Amino acid sequence: MFKKTLLAVSTALGVMASAVVAVEPIEGDFWLQEVNAGNLPPVSERMPSIPLVPDLKLRGRELGTPGGTLRTMVTRAKDVRQMVVYGYARLVGYNERYEIVPDILESLENENDIKFTLRLRPGHKWSDGNPFTSEDFRYWWEDVANNEMLSPAGPIDFLRVEGELPTVTFPDAHTVIYEWHKPNPVFLQKLAEARPPFIYRPSHFLKALHADYADEETLSEALYEARVRSWAALHNRSDNMYKFDNPDLPTLQPWMLATKDGKSRFLFVRNPYYHRVDPNGVQLPYIDVVEMQVVAPGLVAAKANAGEVDLQARGLDFKDTAILKKGENSGKYTTLLWGNGTASQIAIYPNLNYNDDLWRETMRDVRFRRALSLGINRKIINKGLYFGLAKQGGMTVLPVSPFYREKNSQAWADYDIEQANALLDDMGLTERDKEGTRLLPDGRPMWIVVETAGERQEVENALQIIIDNWKDLGIKLLMRPLERDILRNRVYSGETMAAVWFGWDNGIPHSYTSPDFVAPWQQEFFAWPKWGQYHQTSGDAGEPPDLAAAVRLNDLAHEWSQAYSTVDRAVIWQEMIDIHAENVFAIGLLNNAPQPVVVSNRLRNVPEKAIWAWSPGAHFGVYRVDEFFFDE
Amino acid sequence: MTILPDGRYVDDAPYETDTGAEARNAELDMSNSRLLWLRFKQHKLGLISALFLLVSYLSLPFAGFISPYTPNERLEDYLYAPPQLVRLFHDGEFVGPYVYGTTAEMDLESFSWKYIQDRETPMKLKFFCEGSEYKLSGFIPTKTHLFCAPEGATVFLLGSDRLGRDVFSRILYGAQLSLTVGLVGITVSFVIGIILGSIAGYFGGFLDWIINRVIEILRSLPELPLWLALSAAVPSHWGPVAVFFIISIILGILDWPGLARAVRSKFLSLREEEFVRAAEMMGAKPSRVIGKHLLPNFLSHLIASATLSIPAMILGETALSFLGLGLRAPAVSWGVMLNDAQNLASIEIYWWTAIPMLPIVIVVLAFNFFGDGLRDALDPNRS
Repeated sequence: MFKKTLLAVSTALGVMASAVVAVEPIEGDFWLQEVNAGNLPPVSERMPSIPLVPDLKLRGRELGTPGGTLRTMVTRAKDVRQMVVYGYARLVGYNERYEIVPDILESLENENDIKFTLRLRPGHKWSDGNPFTSEDFRYWWEDVANNEMLSPAGPIDFLRVEGELPTVTFPDAHTVIYEWHKPNPVFLQKLAEARPPFIYRPSHFLKALHADYADEETLSEALYEARVRSWAALHNRSDNMYKFDNPDLPTLQPWMLATKDGKSRFLFVRNPYYHRVDPNGVQLPYIDVVEMQVVAPGLVAAKANAGEVDLQARGLDFKDTAILKKGENSGKYTTLLWGNGTASQIAIYPNLNYNDDLWRETMRDVRFRRALSLGINRKIINKGLYFGLAKQGGMTVLPVSPFYREKNSQAWADYDIEQANALLDDMGLTERDKEGTRLLPDGRPMWIVVETAGERQEVENALQIIIDNWKDLGIKLLMRPLERDILRNRVYSGETMAAVWFGWDNGIPHSYTSPDFVAPWQQEFFAWPKWGQYHQTSGDAGEPPDLAAAVRLNDLAHEWSQAYSTVDRAVIWQEMIDIHAENVFAIGLLNNAPQPVVVSNRLRNVPEKAIWAWSPGAHFGVYRVDEFFFDE
Repeated sequence: MTILPDGRYVDDAPYETDTGAEARNAELDMSNSRLLWLRFKQHKLGLISALFLLVSYLSLPFAGFISPYTPNERLEDYLYAPPQLVRLFHDGEFVGPYVYGTTAEMDLESFSWKYIQDRETPMKLKFFCEGSEYKLSGFIPTKTHLFCAPEGATVFLLGSDRLGRDVFSRILYGAQLSLTVGLVGITVSFVIGIILGSIAGYFGGFLDWIINRVIEILRSLPELPLWLALSAAVPSHWGPVAVFFIISIILGILDWPGLARAVRSKFLSLREEEFVRAAEMMGAKPSRVIGKHLLPNFLSHLIASATLSIPAMILGETALSFLGLGLRAPAVSWGVMLNDAQNLASIEIYWWTAIPMLPIVIVVLAFNFFGDGLRDALDPNRS
């Protein structure tokens, strides 16, 4: 069903595009001088012959006027890559309903997830004016992905279906075909990610650095100049489609980096060859320049409060909301509250691979995990930390996802001390010491050490409340703040009893989303680090899952990758989500926590209500920042 | 005037005792400590500081009694409550200490808590009343508090924090850790520093060489990464206070070289003095020479540097806790409280959460003045 809508949307877009192309594109002010001086061709020649014309009216957006500088902030210099995320020009991308639609591609034919025909826009050009054709795909596939020097491990994993690589063909300059023998349902989803695998490269630019193409003498000169030994190192250093730190590398994104060797301030200017145009014929992006400042993490809220930013969400927390609201008048901005897209804002992961035998067995008892979950007063946590604006509930998917069930969200999530105590008594943990703490069968008191990354104050505050809650269960919680990397290493090696982290990054899975993060396939899910290692290392490290529910999840994930139809995959997904809710592998506290988004009063087309998510969504990306504009 | 047979002159007038002399030179007969006290008294600022510190330290065991709440007691309906005024007169009539009841309201415009006072009914504070249970001086369980909130109202003298905990009570409890934990480190470093420094300075030679090399090695160790490593290496079931205690002891062990060097250099010069020679010739053992003759000469410096190091240790605790390396919740110290208040909202909107800064400033100043006064009083060369 999904596939049909996809095709329908793509053809609809195609029809629309061809209908509007008759409108002559208007030359904007920004590049006018360059065009008049003859340095740039006019806008009609710069854009693809069939540009993408988004229907802004249909989505309730205004048609804008070009111009202006958008100020935003990041906390590390390497976050210039956020512009690839916010720019969100992908071969295929999510729309606001989280459907995958063609973006850079003119259209896409998908035959049962086995054969993908990608059609490029004729006349599409890189930001330096060179044509973007199937040669750029061929260069990546043959000379980068399958080059031993550049990719020693071979092409990236998402292209392998049970080890099998696709056959990739390039029938003409505007067509690329990826074909497998079995379905590869993650193919499109990965291309639409916030951090996508770029399966194309600006070949005209990189060939000069590739030993197979470049003249040996010029290449060795370039190597000497760059002080590197092998051409591969130089190639890799220049080829940073995602890192976005090379101003010389041509791009397809709406804005291109204009600052060389920047440290604290980066400027991005509009890409004169961008492929999207509004129905009036104004080439997108509307905003001419993006100014990105690098500031200390603690200063983001202060600077936003002073009105020094036009669009900001990164680095802001809900606890900053009051201060942001206070500065609205003087700073001339509005603070919007979006929902967070992670499955759970705070989740406690009892480590089912904990090194202590008795504790491990105790935590593997589902009654124990359920009791812990029932013993948490989520309402108070919500009120104290999120002003009651988050949604209380265990860890499951968000309501936007097709697999959301109210029952799952509320499973074992009510504050019910009696039932929790009954469950614990039922497990035979009836002995207590003189402080009222329950005793394990071998006489040790039940002290649960919960380790945190020590980065988020709300985690500590929430645990503070849970300490009091669990006291009523006869369980003593000890909080231990560590450092992020130390915590990870301790969890992975099974030294941590329980850890706190966010829930699944992707709270909005669809049937085509790979279920590897809900299956015991990733050590990053802190409840089963060793099972995850077992899968990730193909059995070299870790342990195979030996808990019935986890084994079932493992089987389901395998079934998913072999399933042929969307319906089958959806059924599998639903079962996996249900298993998680019933087994409480991670004890979620809240989801949909409000994420403050500071928007300048002059900035238009920013949605009032939205979801702030990395995957799927690329933070601002899915809301198309290139359609935002300044109303003077 | 009489001339004695051997030709000397003797005054016939009867001997008169000089009654004023004793009074004029009274200090010559006074004990050393009394002298000290007299001189110290003249340093007014030092005296006030000393009294303040004395009261502070004496009240530490009774922190639970003085504070109306226990440190981790959360009043869920009073998050970020502002400080309340204790009033005496209502409508021109004396009613005794009372507060107004408040109710919290969520302000969804500004996303902050608003508190509305009920100005009609004064709620009288209760004294020697039953509150939540705590341990007096750390071991006597009791429920009696000096004062508590009346039924249906709160008494937040300095407001409440993000989880509805009383800032005033937490400052009192925090003092228990903040004021004492530094002392441990100081004691350790002083004992080691003085012993090793005096050995090195007095004996010299090979011992001196060894101790000097050890000092150089210890001085070259970076402290912050060491802290990071240590706080990760301590067993996880230890409470945060135990962790910090251990670490401050270890820091003390690492901190002595500075003092040891000062002691050594002073001893190198003092051991050449005549009175040391005299003592040695009379057969005094090294321990006696060091303890009775050398150290007292040096005491003013030691006391001054001790009183100046204590605030440094308190500030150190605060700084480390503020950075998240020292004490952590649920332990309560001033640094932990400031760590909680570490954002703009705390200063702009909920300013009272940053109040723990004040006791830190006051205590550190008091220690400095006290040290100043003490040094003046101890200085033997004072005119």
